Amino acid sequence: MNRPVDVAVIGAGPTGLFAAFYAGMRGLSVALVDALPEPGGQISALYPEKIIRDVAGFPAVKGRDLVGALVEQARSADPEMLLGRQATDLDDLPGGRFRLGFADGGCVEAGAVVVTGGIGTFTPRALPCGEEFLGRGLSYFVPDPAELAGRRVLVVGGGDSAFDWADALQHTAQVTVVHRRDTFRAHRHTVDQVLAGPAVVRTAAVVERLRGDHRVRAAALRDTTTDEIVEIECDHVVAALGFVANPGPLLRWGLDVTDRKIVVDPAMRTSRPGVFAAGDVCTYPGRVPLIAVGFGEAATAVNHAAVRLDPTASTFPGHSTDAAAQPVALSA
Amino acid sequence: MTFVVTDACVDVLDRSCLEECPVDCIYEGDRKMYVNPVECIDCGACEQACPTAAAVADRAIAGTAAAWNTVDNAAFFDVVLPGRDTPLGTPGGATHLGPVGTDTAAVAALPPR
Repeated sequence: MNRPVDVAVIGAGPTGLFAAFYAGMRGLSVALVDALPEPGGQISALYPEKIIRDVAGFPAVKGRDLVGALVEQARSADPEMLLGRQATDLDDLPGGRFRLGFADGGCVEAGAVVVTGGIGTFTPRALPCGEEFLGRGLSYFVPDPAELAGRRVLVVGGGDSAFDWADALQHTAQVTVVHRRDTFRAHRHTVDQVLAGPAVVRTAAVVERLRGDHRVRAAALRDTTTDEIVEIECDHVVAALGFVANPGPLLRWGLDVTDRKIVVDPAMRTSRPGVFAAGDVCTYPGRVPLIAVGFGEAATAVNHAAVRLDPTASTFPGHSTDAAAQPVALSA
Repeated sequence: MTFVVTDACVDVLDRSCLEECPVDCIYEGDRKMYVNPVECIDCGACEQACPTAAAVADRAIAGTAAAWNTVDNAAFFDVVLPGRDTPLGTPGGATHLGPVGTDTAAVAALPPR
């Protein structure tokens, strides 16, 4: 169990990072939880290299730079960063507090919860067959390339992760890349490295089934143009088919939900007292799903959480320009 | 504010969009794909993946002859399709639902490509 906090923020996307910062501004201790090992939510997962032009104060900012700045800003709150931890359960504790449980069995205790889960938890897209071999020769990641040295490895997919792994493994393992199209969406440079290297690349082919005993032994590949099936022997299959987000366990926490979004009132309160929501995970009439909107909602949610934690507090936080928050030279 | 698969997909059904969609909200009919407007997050990944330029933003076709596709994509989920008892609604992911095997009446009536 982690140290108890005033506020647990669930989801480390832009809204969650700003909520964590804001909790610090209110003098609250905060834990920031995310299922992915990296902060940044949709920005990091979907468009880290794209230029964002609709964040106030930034005429143009690259996705990963905005995340970097938000992380730096959140750091002022000294948040307990619980990354790579999927929040699965939210239980009530005496005194109106909460116990937030994780998929790995851990938990954190909090006085209030701000759900900033966006479009949900990103999980690897499953191979359409052979799921029963997961952990027995089928994986979605390459945890340690050294373990696959000398092995026959099938990498499925045509995106960046497929080609990054193929490139990383092709000089130490016997790599075959299988992709259903004849074009690749991975970075051109990596594709060229793999095409020029020892890896075998099979296009217009899909994995029809996996065969094995206690481990994967072979994969049946179907040619998508001729429907011809060939079986190739392999020791390991890496399914690198990208990520899919879905709302996951959040929607089973007894919160009022409509169209897979958490319903909030103007103070960002959910139907469960002490639980707030902000960003793309929440909904109310007229909501517009933008980062800029999420930032405002995060501030509203945290200020109301502060009052819930201390009813004598004001919802208005004071100004970040107040003397105490200024550099010494300015406040003197 | 969503993306839409237009009738340019009819009888092509390349399915690249299905692999790209980060929220798995593009569903497979009998002759074309359909975007679930409630589940779509407007990211545009399908537009880049589609080899026939069938995946487009609804705002790009608003007011054009292709605008009926926006209504038709929504209808795929809102009306009771032939051979089903209830509307699809928001199934929460195309992968676990699998091919639906049928189309909206408007698409079913289109001539073969």
